[in-house]
Amino acid sequence: MDKEELFDKMEKAIIEGDKEEAESLAKEAVKENLDLNEVIEKGCVPGIQKVGDLWEKGEYFLPELITSAECMKAAMEVFKPELKKANIETRSYGKIVIGTVEGDIHDIGKNLVASMLSANGFEVIDLGADVKLEKFIEKSEAENADFICLSALLTTTMLGQKKAIEMLKEKNLFGRFKVLVGGAPVNQKWANDIGADGYAENAMIAVKAVKKLIEE
Amino acid sequence: MSAVSEKIKNFKIELDERRILRLIGYKKKSYERTDSVKSLIAEEKKKLDDLLQPISIFTIIAYDETNNHPIFMNATKIALCICTIGPKLEEEVKELMKKNEMLRALILDALGSEAVEEVAIQSDEFIAEKAREMNLWPSKRFSPGYKRWDIKEQRFVFQILPSHEIGVSLLKESCMMIPRKSISFRINFYKVQKFSTRKQKN
Repeated sequence: MDKEELFDKMEKAIIEGDKEEAESLAKEAVKENLDLNEVIEKGCVPGIQKVGDLWEKGEYFLPELITSAECMKAAMEVFKPELKKANIETRSYGKIVIGTVEGDIHDIGKNLVASMLSANGFEVIDLGADVKLEKFIEKSEAENADFICLSALLTTTMLGQKKAIEMLKEKNLFGRFKVLVGGAPVNQKWANDIGADGYAENAMIAVKAVKKLIEE
Repeated sequence: MSAVSEKIKNFKIELDERRILRLIGYKKKSYERTDSVKSLIAEEKKKLDDLLQPISIFTIIAYDETNNHPIFMNATKIALCICTIGPKLEEEVKELMKKNEMLRALILDALGSEAVEEVAIQSDEFIAEKAREMNLWPSKRFSPGYKRWDIKEQRFVFQILPSHEIGVSLLKESCMMIPRKSISFRINFYKVQKFSTRKQKN
């Protein structure tokens, strides 16, 4: 199989949500000693972008997005150790620290957002659930992150999002990281009120919101 | 303080595939072309016998045994109830996420949400019947965090009910229940029919 054919097949596997095919193509790319960043750029990325377009058109829904993200992850798990071995960096659109705020152990929504962001080329540092606010800030500083994504699923814990932004202000770090908030009780008004840079009501909108903030 | 409580264990849980499709993000018009997802739903459903541990606990108290919150006003009796499907399903969801099986995790989580809702519906009907046996009018069920009953009132429900007997605990600060697939609610019993009461069964 020549590399152009592999790119096309990888794109198709991601659009169709065929995880086994994506993984197998990734292994073939390694075996054939292809430029793995080129496979990502010309096979995986166009695939995941088309999935996003299909979602925009209302032809794809959350399950299709997730399946495609799973495919992307399966391929990346084959590529990453190889890239590391060769000391080659994968291209990242930005570094994101994400987690569910302290007192809240909901994580499925946050995991979906993390997964979609990762599939769309962001480096995601997932701190998990019930994360101390200080930890978000410490990790973002240590990793020189571009974004902090704060998830909260309860009216009692969404206050943590506000506190985190206040802590950034106290530490003179407000503005250094773009802050996005999300979760069932959260809305755009809340995001505006607490001074967050963005709000996302679902995983795909989170990807769009982050991309938009990069463009600004 | 724990009032005399009763447990309900015999639940017949049947889950509607269309509701699961909706919960995982499909719109009605797209239900027809979801065969691959439907087969995943069927596969995850098969796990439920092992994963669901449905149980609920309830008690019926008099108005003067409450914390005098206004939402209990004019009720002759108040039933408080906690329902759960136990922790096993949530643990399996976590395992699936670790294995990059996000869609299966989402489906199983949705099945869990529907299952605990079903436990709440059946517990609610059981308790409403108790009200009718007492010749009282049961209200609809309301959970802390809805209407004028603040989420923090969850603490009162857990103060009254021995929730540990069904394996449910409350995170004090956030008022979140563990396992997450748990529902708590109240039903007010009134002497007379009110706007919030339901029809008596024939």
